[in-house]
Amino acid sequence: MLITYIYQLLTLLVLILVIRCLFREKSLNMQIVACMVLLPLALRVLMIK
Amino acid sequence: MEKLYGNKITALVLLGLTALIGVWVSLSFISMWQDDAVYPQAGFKNKMLSEYFAGIANTPVDTAVYIQTGPEKGGTVLLLGGSHGNEPAGRLAAVVILENARVKKGRLIVIPAANPMNLTHTAAQDAHPQRLDLPLPSGKVRSFRMGARDSNPIYEWPNPDTYIHPASGQQLAGNEKSNLNRCYPGVADGSPTEQLAYAIVQLIKKEKVNLAIDLHEASPEYPVVNAMVAHERAMELAATVAMELESMGIPIRLEPSPKNLRGLSHREWGDATQTMAILLETANPSHGRFRGKTDQRLVITGQDKAYAKAATLGRLYIDYKGDQPLRYRVGRHLAALGLLFKNLGEVAPDKAVEIGGLPAFSQIMKTGVGAYLADKARGR
Repeated sequence: MLITYIYQLLTLLVLILVIRCLFREKSLNMQIVACMVLLPLALRVLMIK
Repeated sequence: MEKLYGNKITALVLLGLTALIGVWVSLSFISMWQDDAVYPQAGFKNKMLSEYFAGIANTPVDTAVYIQTGPEKGGTVLLLGGSHGNEPAGRLAAVVILENARVKKGRLIVIPAANPMNLTHTAAQDAHPQRLDLPLPSGKVRSFRMGARDSNPIYEWPNPDTYIHPASGQQLAGNEKSNLNRCYPGVADGSPTEQLAYAIVQLIKKEKVNLAIDLHEASPEYPVVNAMVAHERAMELAATVAMELESMGIPIRLEPSPKNLRGLSHREWGDATQTMAILLETANPSHGRFRGKTDQRLVITGQDKAYAKAATLGRLYIDYKGDQPLRYRVGRHLAALGLLFKNLGEVAPDKAVEIGGLPAFSQIMKTGVGAYLADKARGR
Protein backbone atom coordinates (compact mmCIF):
# COMPACT_ATOMS: atom_id res chain seq x y z
CA MET A 1 0.00 0.00 0.00
CA LEU A 2 1.61 3.27 -1.16
CA ILE A 3 0.27 5.30 1.75
CA THR A 4 2.03 2.96 4.20
CA TYR A 5 5.38 3.43 2.48
CA ILE A 6 4.92 7.22 2.56
CA TYR A 7 4.04 6.99 6.25
CA GLN A 8 7.13 4.90 6.95
CA LEU A 9 9.34 7.37 5.07
CA LEU A 10 7.93 10.31 7.05
CA THR A 11 8.43 8.43 10.32
CA LEU A 12 11.99 7.58 9.30
CA LEU A 13 12.66 11.25 8.60
CA VAL A 14 11.38 12.24 12.07
CA LEU A 15 13.47 9.42 13.57
CA ILE A 16 16.63 10.74 11.91
CA LEU A 17 15.88 14.29 13.09
CA VAL A 18 15.39 13.08 16.68
CA ILE A 19 18.73 11.21 16.53
CA ARG A 20 20.32 14.43 15.23
CA CYS A 21 18.83 16.35 18.17
CA LEU A 22 20.08 13.66 20.56
CA PHE A 23 23.67 14.22 19.50
CA ARG A 24 23.37 18.05 19.49
CA GLU A 25 21.62 18.28 22.85
CA LYS A 26 23.68 19.53 25.81
CA SER A 27 21.21 18.50 28.55
CA LEU A 28 21.35 14.87 29.68
CA ASN A 29 17.67 15.00 30.68
CA MET A 30 16.71 16.09 27.18
CA GLN A 31 18.87 13.35 25.68
CA ILE A 32 16.95 10.80 27.77
CA VAL A 33 13.67 12.31 26.57
CA ALA A 34 14.90 12.05 22.96
CA CYS A 35 15.59 8.34 23.50
CA MET A 36 12.08 7.84 24.90
CA VAL A 37 10.72 9.42 21.72
CA LEU A 38 13.01 7.31 19.53
CA LEU A 39 11.77 3.95 20.71
CA PRO A 40 8.14 4.04 19.45
CA LEU A 41 9.28 5.78 16.26
CA ALA A 42 11.76 2.98 15.53
CA LEU A 43 9.14 0.30 16.26
CA ARG A 44 6.74 2.05 13.87
CA VAL A 45 9.33 2.49 11.08
CA LEU A 46 9.97 -1.26 11.27
CA MET A 47 6.20 -1.90 11.50
CA ILE A 48 6.66 -3.99 14.63
CA LYS A 49 4.18 -2.06 16.81
CA MET B 1 19.28 20.87 41.50
CA GLU B 2 22.53 20.74 39.56
CA LYS B 3 22.06 20.51 35.82
CA LEU B 4 23.34 17.29 34.26
CA TYR B 5 25.27 17.86 31.07
CA GLY B 6 25.21 15.61 28.06
CA ASN B 7 27.65 15.21 25.23
CA LYS B 8 28.20 12.95 22.23
CA ILE B 9 29.46 10.09 24.42
CA THR B 10 26.33 10.15 26.64
CA ALA B 11 24.23 10.35 23.46
CA LEU B 12 25.94 7.25 22.11
CA VAL B 13 25.51 5.35 25.39
CA LEU B 14 21.83 6.30 25.58
CA LEU B 15 21.32 5.33 21.93
CA GLY B 16 22.88 1.94 22.64
CA LEU B 17 20.63 1.43 25.66
CA THR B 18 17.58 2.42 23.61
CA ALA B 19 18.58 -0.07 20.91
CA LEU B 20 18.88 -2.84 23.52
CA ILE B 21 15.46 -2.03 24.97
CA GLY B 22 14.13 -1.84 21.40
CA VAL B 23 15.36 -5.35 20.59
CA TRP B 24 13.93 -6.70 23.85
CA VAL B 25 10.44 -5.24 23.35
CA SER B 26 10.49 -6.09 19.62
CA LEU B 27 11.07 -9.76 20.38
CA SER B 28 8.14 -9.63 22.79
CA PHE B 29 5.84 -8.01 20.21
CA ILE B 30 7.04 -10.30 17.38
CA SER B 31 6.32 -13.38 19.53
CA MET B 32 2.62 -12.60 18.98
CA TRP B 33 2.91 -12.92 15.21
CA GLN B 34 3.09 -16.70 15.37
CA ASP B 35 -0.23 -18.52 15.14
CA ASP B 36 -1.40 -20.54 18.14
CA ALA B 37 -1.20 -24.27 17.56
CA VAL B 38 -4.57 -26.01 17.36
CA TYR B 39 -5.12 -29.73 16.91
CA PRO B 40 -8.38 -30.41 15.04
CA GLN B 41 -10.32 -33.58 15.76
CA ALA B 42 -9.96 -36.29 13.11
CA GLY B 43 -12.31 -35.61 10.21
CA PHE B 44 -11.79 -31.85 9.97
CA LYS B 45 -10.44 -30.64 6.63
CA ASN B 46 -8.39 -27.48 6.62
CA LYS B 47 -9.03 -24.70 4.11
CA MET B 48 -8.16 -21.03 4.03
CA LEU B 49 -10.74 -18.26 4.02
CA SER B 50 -9.15 -16.90 0.82
CA GLU B 51 -10.68 -19.89 -1.00
CA TYR B 52 -13.99 -18.02 -0.64
CA PHE B 53 -12.61 -14.60 -1.58
CA ALA B 54 -9.29 -14.56 -3.44
CA GLY B 55 -8.78 -10.88 -2.62
CA ILE B 56 -7.34 -11.77 0.80
CA ALA B 57 -4.94 -14.49 -0.36
CA ASN B 58 -1.39 -14.04 0.95
CA THR B 59 -2.40 -11.15 3.21
CA PRO B 60 -2.51 -10.92 7.03
CA VAL B 61 -6.31 -11.11 6.70
CA ASP B 62 -6.41 -14.76 5.61
CA THR B 63 -7.31 -17.32 8.27
CA ALA B 64 -7.81 -21.05 8.70
CA VAL B 65 -11.24 -22.62 8.17
CA TYR B 66 -11.92 -26.17 9.38
CA ILE B 67 -14.79 -28.23 7.96
CA GLN B 68 -16.06 -31.60 9.20
CA THR B 69 -18.78 -33.41 7.27
CA GLY B 70 -20.79 -36.13 8.98
CA PRO B 71 -21.77 -39.45 7.38
CA GLU B 72 -25.44 -38.43 7.37
CA LYS B 73 -26.77 -35.47 5.37
CA GLY B 74 -28.07 -32.48 7.31
CA GLY B 75 -27.62 -28.77 7.86
CA THR B 76 -24.46 -26.66 7.98
CA VAL B 77 -23.34 -24.76 11.07
CA LEU B 78 -20.62 -22.08 11.17
CA LEU B 79 -18.85 -21.22 14.40
CA LEU B 80 -16.65 -18.13 14.74
CA GLY B 81 -14.19 -17.67 17.61
CA GLY B 82 -11.72 -14.83 17.91
CA SER B 83 -13.78 -12.10 16.28
CA HIS B 84 -12.27 -10.05 19.10
CA GLY B 85 -8.84 -11.17 20.26
CA ASN B 86 -9.33 -10.04 23.86
CA GLU B 87 -12.38 -12.28 24.41
CA PRO B 88 -10.74 -15.61 25.21
CA ALA B 89 -13.86 -17.56 26.20
CA GLY B 90 -15.27 -17.21 22.68
CA ARG B 91 -12.02 -18.24 21.08
CA LEU B 92 -11.41 -21.14 23.48
CA ALA B 93 -14.96 -22.48 23.10
CA ALA B 94 -14.30 -22.64 19.34
CA VAL B 95 -10.97 -24.41 19.93
CA VAL B 96 -12.56 -26.94 22.32
CA ILE B 97 -15.19 -27.72 19.66
CA LEU B 98 -12.50 -27.95 16.94
CA GLU B 99 -10.45 -30.39 19.02
CA ASN B 100 -13.36 -32.56 20.25
CA ALA B 101 -16.31 -32.47 17.83
CA ARG B 102 -17.34 -35.60 15.96
CA VAL B 103 -20.02 -34.75 13.43
CA LYS B 104 -22.57 -37.52 12.92
CA LYS B 105 -25.04 -35.55 10.83
CA GLY B 106 -24.62 -32.40 8.74
CA ARG B 107 -21.53 -30.20 8.54
CA LEU B 108 -19.63 -28.12 11.06
CA ILE B 109 -17.39 -25.24 9.99
CA VAL B 110 -15.11 -23.73 12.62
CA ILE B 111 -13.00 -20.58 12.28
CA PRO B 112 -11.08 -20.39 15.58
CA ALA B 113 -9.25 -17.13 14.78
CA ALA B 114 -11.82 -15.14 12.83
CA ASN B 115 -9.73 -11.97 12.77
CA PRO B 116 -6.07 -13.02 12.72
CA MET B 117 -5.07 -9.33 12.71
CA ASN B 118 -6.34 -8.74 16.24
CA LEU B 119 -4.33 -11.60 17.75
CA THR B 120 -0.94 -10.17 16.77
CA HIS B 121 -1.01 -7.24 19.19
CA THR B 122 -2.43 -5.97 22.45
CA ALA B 123 -4.30 -2.69 22.69
CA ALA B 124 -2.29 0.32 23.83
CA GLN B 125 -2.96 1.32 27.47
CA ASP B 126 -5.08 -1.77 28.20
CA ALA B 127 -2.13 -3.51 29.95
CA HIS B 128 -3.46 -6.95 29.03
CA PRO B 129 -1.31 -10.04 29.27
CA GLN B 130 -0.05 -11.17 25.86
CA ARG B 131 -0.87 -14.81 26.52
CA LEU B 132 -3.09 -17.15 28.42
CA ASP B 133 -1.37 -20.32 29.65
CA LEU B 134 -3.80 -23.13 30.36
CA PRO B 135 -2.59 -26.17 32.30
CA LEU B 136 -3.52 -29.60 30.97
CA PRO B 137 -4.17 -32.62 33.21
CA SER B 138 -0.81 -34.09 32.09
CA GLY B 139 1.03 -31.09 33.50
CA LYS B 140 1.76 -29.62 30.07
CA VAL B 141 0.63 -26.12 29.19
CA ARG B 142 -1.23 -24.87 26.12
CA SER B 143 -0.62 -21.21 25.42
CA PHE B 144 -3.03 -18.95 23.55
CA ARG B 145 -2.52 -15.35 22.56
CA MET B 146 -4.63 -12.63 24.17
CA GLY B 147 -5.01 -10.09 21.41
CA ALA B 148 -7.00 -6.90 21.09
CA ARG B 149 -10.54 -5.99 20.04
CA ASP B 150 -9.40 -4.23 16.88
CA SER B 151 -7.19 -5.24 13.97
CA ASN B 152 -3.49 -4.56 14.39
CA PRO B 153 -2.80 -0.96 13.26
CA ILE B 154 0.32 -2.11 11.38
CA TYR B 155 -2.16 -3.63 8.90
CA GLU B 156 -5.32 -1.58 9.40
CA TRP B 157 -4.71 2.15 9.37
CA PRO B 158 -5.48 5.00 9.35
CA ASN B 159 -8.70 5.00 11.34
CA PRO B 160 -10.93 7.97 10.48
CA ASP B 161 -12.48 10.27 13.10
CA THR B 162 -15.85 8.79 12.15
CA TYR B 163 -16.32 5.41 10.51
CA ILE B 164 -19.18 5.44 8.03
CA HIS B 165 -20.52 1.92 7.65
CA PRO B 166 -20.44 1.43 3.86
CA ALA B 167 -23.67 -0.55 3.50
CA SER B 168 -25.87 1.76 5.56
CA GLY B 169 -24.11 5.11 5.95
CA GLN B 170 -24.42 4.71 9.73
CA GLN B 171 -21.81 6.76 11.61
CA LEU B 172 -19.66 4.99 14.18
CA ALA B 173 -16.57 5.87 16.21
CA GLY B 174 -13.50 5.95 13.97
CA ASN B 175 -11.80 2.91 15.54
CA GLU B 176 -14.77 0.72 14.55
CA LYS B 177 -13.21 0.59 11.08
CA SER B 178 -10.74 -1.87 12.68
CA ASN B 179 -13.49 -3.89 14.40
CA LEU B 180 -14.55 -6.97 12.45
CA ASN B 181 -17.92 -6.97 14.18
CA ARG B 182 -18.80 -3.52 12.85
CA CYS B 183 -17.65 -4.10 9.26
CA TYR B 184 -20.17 -6.71 8.05
CA PRO B 185 -21.26 -7.40 5.35
CA GLY B 186 -17.88 -6.13 4.28
CA VAL B 187 -16.48 -4.55 1.15
CA ALA B 188 -14.57 -6.52 -1.53
CA ASP B 189 -12.17 -3.67 -2.27
CA GLY B 190 -12.33 -2.06 1.17
CA SER B 191 -9.89 -1.90 4.08
CA PRO B 192 -8.35 -5.17 5.38
CA THR B 193 -11.01 -5.61 8.09
CA GLU B 194 -13.83 -4.85 5.62
CA GLN B 195 -12.35 -7.41 3.20
CA LEU B 196 -12.22 -9.97 6.02
CA ALA B 197 -15.90 -9.35 6.81
CA TYR B 198 -16.70 -9.69 3.10
CA ALA B 199 -14.83 -13.03 2.90
CA ILE B 200 -16.75 -14.45 5.87
CA VAL B 201 -20.07 -13.45 4.28
CA GLN B 202 -18.96 -15.13 1.02
CA LEU B 203 -18.21 -18.30 3.00
CA ILE B 204 -21.71 -18.24 4.54
CA LYS B 205 -23.22 -17.87 1.06
CA LYS B 206 -21.07 -20.43 -0.74
CA GLU B 207 -21.33 -23.10 1.96
CA LYS B 208 -25.07 -22.40 2.35
CA VAL B 209 -24.66 -22.09 6.13
CA ASN B 210 -27.97 -22.65 7.93
CA LEU B 211 -26.87 -21.52 11.38
CA ALA B 212 -23.99 -19.08 11.99
CA ILE B 213 -22.78 -18.34 15.52
CA ASP B 214 -20.36 -15.60 16.60
CA LEU B 215 -18.74 -16.11 20.04
CA HIS B 216 -17.92 -13.07 22.18
CA GLU B 217 -17.35 -11.71 25.67
CA ALA B 218 -18.20 -8.33 27.19
CA SER B 219 -17.79 -6.31 30.37
CA PRO B 220 -20.11 -7.17 33.27
CA GLU B 221 -21.31 -3.53 33.30
CA TYR B 222 -22.43 -3.79 29.66
CA PRO B 223 -26.17 -4.53 29.29
CA VAL B 224 -25.81 -7.19 26.57
CA VAL B 225 -23.94 -9.77 28.60
CA ASN B 226 -24.61 -13.42 29.42
CA ALA B 227 -26.80 -12.98 26.40
CA MET B 228 -27.82 -14.43 23.09
CA VAL B 229 -28.51 -11.90 20.33
CA ALA B 230 -30.55 -13.34 17.49
CA HIS B 231 -31.55 -12.18 14.03
CA GLU B 232 -35.32 -12.49 13.53
CA ARG B 233 -34.80 -15.60 11.36
CA ALA B 234 -33.03 -17.27 14.31
CA MET B 235 -35.35 -16.05 17.05
CA GLU B 236 -37.45 -19.23 17.36
CA LEU B 237 -34.31 -21.35 17.75
CA ALA B 238 -32.70 -18.86 20.15
CA ALA B 239 -35.84 -18.66 22.32
CA THR B 240 -36.01 -22.45 22.58
CA VAL B 241 -32.35 -22.62 23.59
CA ALA B 242 -32.72 -19.74 26.07
CA MET B 243 -35.53 -21.59 27.85
CA GLU B 244 -33.47 -24.79 28.00
CA LEU B 245 -30.44 -22.91 29.34
CA GLU B 246 -32.57 -21.31 32.07
CA SER B 247 -33.94 -24.74 32.99
CA MET B 248 -30.32 -25.92 33.37
CA GLY B 249 -29.65 -23.05 35.80
CA ILE B 250 -27.68 -20.99 33.29
CA PRO B 251 -29.21 -17.50 33.19
CA ILE B 252 -29.32 -16.01 29.71
CA ARG B 253 -30.70 -12.78 28.30
CA LEU B 254 -32.37 -13.13 24.90
CA GLU B 255 -31.98 -10.04 22.74
CA PRO B 256 -33.47 -9.43 19.30
CA SER B 257 -30.87 -8.07 16.90
CA PRO B 258 -31.69 -4.35 16.52
CA LYS B 259 -32.56 -3.53 12.91
CA ASN B 260 -30.90 -0.11 13.07
CA LEU B 261 -27.60 -1.26 14.58
CA ARG B 262 -25.59 -2.02 11.50
CA GLY B 263 -22.35 -3.80 10.82
CA LEU B 264 -22.72 -6.51 13.46
CA SER B 265 -22.69 -10.22 12.65
CA HIS B 266 -26.14 -10.99 14.10
CA ARG B 267 -27.69 -8.29 11.88
CA GLU B 268 -25.67 -8.37 8.66
CA TRP B 269 -25.19 -12.15 8.31
CA GLY B 270 -28.94 -12.56 8.56
CA ASP B 271 -29.72 -9.70 6.16
CA ALA B 272 -27.04 -10.50 3.57
CA THR B 273 -27.56 -14.28 3.52
CA GLN B 274 -30.19 -16.90 4.30
CA THR B 275 -28.49 -18.04 7.51
CA MET B 276 -29.86 -17.93 11.06
CA ALA B 277 -27.43 -15.53 12.76
CA ILE B 278 -26.75 -15.67 16.49
CA LEU B 279 -24.19 -13.93 18.70
CA LEU B 280 -23.33 -15.22 22.18
CA GLU B 281 -21.85 -13.07 24.97
CA THR B 282 -20.40 -14.03 28.34
CA ALA B 283 -19.25 -11.63 31.09
CA ASN B 284 -15.52 -11.08 31.43
CA PRO B 285 -14.30 -8.80 34.24
CA SER B 286 -10.86 -8.50 32.60
CA HIS B 287 -12.63 -6.55 29.89
CA GLY B 288 -14.36 -3.89 31.89
CA ARG B 289 -13.36 -0.40 32.96
CA PHE B 290 -13.71 -1.15 36.71
CA ARG B 291 -11.02 -3.80 36.67
CA GLY B 292 -7.79 -3.70 38.65
CA LYS B 293 -4.52 -5.34 37.65
CA THR B 294 -5.13 -7.11 34.36
CA ASP B 295 -3.11 -10.29 34.44
CA GLN B 296 -3.66 -13.94 33.57
CA ARG B 297 -5.12 -14.55 37.04
CA LEU B 298 -7.90 -12.02 36.40
CA VAL B 299 -8.65 -13.44 32.94
CA ILE B 300 -8.79 -17.01 34.28
CA THR B 301 -10.58 -16.43 37.60
CA GLY B 302 -12.56 -13.26 36.94
CA GLN B 303 -11.98 -12.29 40.59
CA ASP B 304 -11.83 -8.54 41.06
CA LYS B 305 -12.51 -6.46 44.18
CA ALA B 306 -13.82 -3.49 42.22
CA TYR B 307 -16.35 -5.71 40.44
CA ALA B 308 -17.44 -7.18 43.78
CA LYS B 309 -18.05 -3.62 45.00
CA ALA B 310 -19.84 -2.67 41.77
CA ALA B 311 -22.09 -5.70 42.21
CA THR B 312 -23.10 -4.59 45.72
CA LEU B 313 -23.95 -1.17 44.25
CA GLY B 314 -26.15 -2.77 41.60
CA ARG B 315 -24.02 -1.54 38.72
CA LEU B 316 -23.59 -4.86 36.91
CA TYR B 317 -25.82 -6.78 34.55
CA ILE B 318 -24.82 -10.18 35.93
CA ASP B 319 -25.17 -11.82 39.32
CA TYR B 320 -21.48 -11.37 40.22
CA LYS B 321 -20.54 -13.27 43.37
CA GLY B 322 -16.83 -12.53 43.46
CA ASP B 323 -15.66 -14.33 40.34
CA GLN B 324 -16.50 -15.23 36.76
CA PRO B 325 -14.01 -17.98 35.90
CA LEU B 326 -12.92 -18.85 32.41
CA ARG B 327 -14.26 -22.40 32.81
CA TYR B 328 -17.72 -20.97 33.55
CA ARG B 329 -17.57 -18.60 30.57
CA VAL B 330 -16.37 -21.30 28.16
CA GLY B 331 -18.86 -23.75 29.71
CA ARG B 332 -21.73 -21.31 29.11
CA HIS B 333 -20.75 -20.97 25.46
CA LEU B 334 -20.46 -24.74 25.04
CA ALA B 335 -23.81 -25.35 26.76
CA ALA B 336 -25.51 -22.85 24.45
CA LEU B 337 -23.79 -24.29 21.38
CA GLY B 338 -24.75 -27.84 22.29
CA LEU B 339 -28.39 -26.79 22.60
CA LEU B 340 -28.30 -24.77 19.38
CA PHE B 341 -26.93 -27.82 17.51
CA LYS B 342 -29.53 -30.07 19.14
CA ASN B 343 -32.49 -27.81 18.45
CA LEU B 344 -31.64 -26.73 14.90
CA GLY B 345 -33.51 -29.77 13.59
CA GLU B 346 -36.57 -28.81 15.67
CA VAL B 347 -37.04 -25.52 13.79
CA ALA B 348 -35.71 -26.75 10.42
CA PRO B 349 -36.07 -30.57 10.27
CA ASP B 350 -34.14 -30.98 7.00
CA LYS B 351 -31.26 -28.92 8.42
CA ALA B 352 -30.66 -30.97 11.56
CA VAL B 353 -27.12 -31.56 12.75
CA GLU B 354 -25.79 -34.05 15.26
CA ILE B 355 -22.44 -33.34 16.83
CA GLY B 356 -20.91 -35.59 19.47
CA GLY B 357 -17.81 -35.41 21.62
CA LEU B 358 -18.59 -32.05 23.20
CA PRO B 359 -18.06 -31.67 26.95
CA ALA B 360 -21.11 -30.91 29.07
CA PHE B 361 -21.31 -27.71 31.13
CA SER B 362 -20.91 -29.70 34.37
CA GLN B 363 -17.79 -31.45 33.02
CA ILE B 364 -16.10 -28.18 32.08
CA MET B 365 -16.99 -26.73 35.50
CA LYS B 366 -15.51 -29.79 37.22
CA THR B 367 -12.29 -30.24 35.24
CA GLY B 368 -11.58 -26.87 33.62
CA VAL B 369 -10.97 -26.01 29.99
CA GLY B 370 -7.52 -27.62 29.79
CA ALA B 371 -9.02 -31.09 30.17
CA TYR B 372 -10.67 -30.66 26.75
CA LEU B 373 -7.67 -29.36 24.86
CA ALA B 374 -5.43 -31.74 22.93
CA ASP B 375 -2.61 -32.95 25.15
CA LYS B 376 0.23 -31.51 23.11
CA ALA B 377 3.41 -29.65 23.97
CA ARG B 378 3.29 -25.95 24.74
CA GLY B 379 1.19 -24.45 21.98
CA ARG B 380 3.48 -21.77 20.64
